[in-house]
Amino acid sequence: MTRTPLRPLARILDAREKGENPDVIERENLRRRHDEMRDKARLRAEGRLLVLAGLFLCAFLVVGARMAILAGTDPTEPRAHAPGARIAMARADIVDRNGRVLATNLATYALYAQPPMMVDPIRAATELASIFPDLKAEKLLEDFTGSRKFLWIKRKISPEQKQAVHDIGEPGLLFGPREMRLYPNGRLAAHVLGGASFGKEGVNAAEVIGVAGIERRFDDYLRDPANGDTPLTLSIDLTVQAAVERVLDGGMRMMNAKGAAAVLMDVNTGEVISMASLPDFDPNNRPRPLTRGDQSDDPLFNRAVQGVYELGSVFKIFAAAQAYELGLVDPSTEVETKGPMRWGKFTIRDFRNYGPRLSVTDVIVKSSNIGTARIAVQIGAERQRDFLGRLGLLEATPVELTEAPGAKPLLPKNWSELSTMTISYGHGLSSSPLHLAAAYSSLLNGGTRVRPTLIRAGRVERGERVVRPEVSEAARDMLRQVVTRGTASFGEVPGYAVGGKTGTADKPRPQGGYYDSKVIATFASVFPANDPKYVLIVTLDEPEETSGTEPRRTAGWTAVPVAAEIIRRIAPLMGLKPEIAPLSPTGVTLTSN
Amino acid sequence: MSYLEYKVKHVPTGLRKVLYINWVLVLLVSAVSSVGFLMLYSVAGGNFDLWARPQMERFALGMVLMFITAMVPIWFWRNMAGLAYLVGLALLVLVELVGASGMGAQRWIDLGFMRLQPSELMKIAMVMLLAAYYDWLDVSKVSRPLWVALPLILIVIPTALVLRQPDLGTSILLVAGGGTVMLLAGVSLWYFAVVITGGVGLVTAVILSRGTEWQLLNNYQYRRIDTFLDPASDPLGAGYNITQSKITLGSGGWTGKGFMQGTQSRLNFIPEKHTDFIFTTLAEEFGFVGAASLLALYVLILFFCVVSALQNRDRFSSLLILGIAMTFFLFFAVNMAMVMGLAPVVGVPLPLVSYGGSAMLVLLLGFGLVQSAHVHRARQK
Repeated sequence: MTRTPLRPLARILDAREKGENPDVIERENLRRRHDEMRDKARLRAEGRLLVLAGLFLCAFLVVGARMAILAGTDPTEPRAHAPGARIAMARADIVDRNGRVLATNLATYALYAQPPMMVDPIRAATELASIFPDLKAEKLLEDFTGSRKFLWIKRKISPEQKQAVHDIGEPGLLFGPREMRLYPNGRLAAHVLGGASFGKEGVNAAEVIGVAGIERRFDDYLRDPANGDTPLTLSIDLTVQAAVERVLDGGMRMMNAKGAAAVLMDVNTGEVISMASLPDFDPNNRPRPLTRGDQSDDPLFNRAVQGVYELGSVFKIFAAAQAYELGLVDPSTEVETKGPMRWGKFTIRDFRNYGPRLSVTDVIVKSSNIGTARIAVQIGAERQRDFLGRLGLLEATPVELTEAPGAKPLLPKNWSELSTMTISYGHGLSSSPLHLAAAYSSLLNGGTRVRPTLIRAGRVERGERVVRPEVSEAARDMLRQVVTRGTASFGEVPGYAVGGKTGTADKPRPQGGYYDSKVIATFASVFPANDPKYVLIVTLDEPEETSGTEPRRTAGWTAVPVAAEIIRRIAPLMGLKPEIAPLSPTGVTLTSN
Repeated sequence: MSYLEYKVKHVPTGLRKVLYINWVLVLLVSAVSSVGFLMLYSVAGGNFDLWARPQMERFALGMVLMFITAMVPIWFWRNMAGLAYLVGLALLVLVELVGASGMGAQRWIDLGFMRLQPSELMKIAMVMLLAAYYDWLDVSKVSRPLWVALPLILIVIPTALVLRQPDLGTSILLVAGGGTVMLLAGVSLWYFAVVITGGVGLVTAVILSRGTEWQLLNNYQYRRIDTFLDPASDPLGAGYNITQSKITLGSGGWTGKGFMQGTQSRLNFIPEKHTDFIFTTLAEEFGFVGAASLLALYVLILFFCVVSALQNRDRFSSLLILGIAMTFFLFFAVNMAMVMGLAPVVGVPLPLVSYGGSAMLVLLLGFGLVQSAHVHRARQK
């Protein structure tokens, strides 16, 4: 910093010469210097102020620009990673064997309330009660005005209901997203699918858990997020299932039965193509289990799997086949059928007297208890038990339903010779229609064991051998004759060579003994008999055919026509071509068991 | 170089002073405050008595205070600067000992009719003292280390006390306000470079110290920093304020939803809707146009302050005006930035609009000082 001197000598000498006061010069210079410094400081301050003003301006511009950006963009709701959202969603679909959806998921909403946030609880309560007729306004108001901070109002609501609730405009009413299980076909295959309900519930999501049937059995698989895209493929055929249920329902009404069940099984793979149990329910709105009365009257009860009953004469074919397999008889061997047959205190009777002797084939065709019992005596308890075991009739079926392991056949405590005889014609051993379907399939498919399954199988290995192929063929021939000239004459469906065996069993009283006029009527059929593809079991609970003068209850009059109608409907659906044979006029044939 | 060294050409006296008040500035301040009343009325859901009325009462009180302050000669205020600073400091210590807590922070002294926040008072007192200091100090000594250290100490003591409360927003305002006065007084830029470098170092240290035993900030302050850096990480928790705030700003669009129609604030999505986040309601109800208008009002206030400072030849006066203007600007800028997600949520109110007594009174007192400086400046006859 160069400074000008305060007293420059030249000017002072000059001033002295002129006689002026030189001190004025010093003061003058001092003032100048001062002014200079002040101006410099001021200039610097102004420069800095300018920079600062620039910064102000920048700040305003940034704020303004930011505001413009925010104003110009549509706001997006934040995606919450709330803990509730971690409850597993996207349960895998369930589809039929052709990939048609049986169970899927639907996005819906749950309605809940936070009373502390409510603006007008009275209005909210009355409006809600008018939207949901099952809610009571007084009860809601009590909840809304009480001390509760949170309460669920509805677990699932429809989009229309959601809009209506939204329109109330009450900030204390809130919606939580829900993924709910939807069964688009309603009651169809209800017992197979079972149903699902909510498990752990959060505001933002709820867990869906299977409560019965396939949904429960495969709960872990269906819930596994890794399987979200791969649906569970069942062996059920949606179209066939619909036809079976429809016909069975009509048949049940016509025969005045209180319940009915049907199982359609592929004889070679054991795949259940259709399984129906009536009465049924809607899995979308699963009813509560019955708390009183007979559990088997509950719509939730799956008669095809859980309905363990003595099934009657349908068992006779097992005795005939086994005796032939063991070489004790052949289909034409004569068996003594003179009745009544006495065994100790016990008497075995036939429906009517068939004369002193019948061939084995005719024992089946005419359904002679005495003849079957005589064959069974030759087989013996040990071998009979072993054979029925190989057919899967002594243990619970391995079918993939939660209910299946509980449905164990009821066996005699002491497998005596008398038991051997009664079991041979289907009394003293209780099993389910599904058991019967699997046993018939194993016997008739050429003689290899099949196990029932509801999951679509890929390639199926042949099971272990139960009987020789010729025994299987002979059994089919006998069953065919039951239809052509025996007790199941109503079972003839032109072109499909139906073979089958009827069974009419008295229903046991709960307090012991049997009812006189309550029966379980069963028709176990195979078609086509010459080249077996499917086994169909139809069971009616307490049927009563009333077109005649007397009510008729035997399977030939009740279960057989229903089964025939089912076959007539479903065989074309499954791609079976009718084999055109000259029609024989059906005469009036008396039927009996 | 102080006022008295000037050749006094004309300083108004008596009631004539009223004519020399900067009436445009008074009008602008009133306009901004009126926007505040309107918003408080709206945010309360049409309830006048809840927030709007007490705010108006305090505004009236503040205006009276402002006029009284404006009538008192500026040299009196310069002489009072040291005393004001000491009183402010004493109050800060007092609040540390007996203060009432609010929202986890100890900031207020209850005076019965209002709750006084000494840190607000301190903002003005510190600017006054620093302006007086540089008025007294010879210009040639401004950049000497000893004469720089003194004002630094004057800034650091109250800042430390405020930080202890803890109130990060106000401490930032204190430091920035004091720093501005020093900058304008002509302190060498080297010092600022050093301080800024130190500040950056401190921030680094603060971030690095997280989770260690000598952690420098509270956990809630760290969470605010986290949230600032990534508000989407926790939209329902720590990021809730800022996310909802942005939704609100965006939902107003260009022209807004209309007065009293702001759903976000009416339905309580916005936290602190009547204090720190009141700007979001304005933006929601009046849109970009409304928000930009408020912005324009703030710019005008600053503009008039700067013009007044430039007109004024007195060093104390111009430094005081600019210091107060800077404090006012910082209030506004930090709040805006916070609300828009440009800065962490530190808890600074929107000046003259947010509900709150201390800030309103102190700001009006500050404008009173600006007016006093304006009225009592030397004029050509």
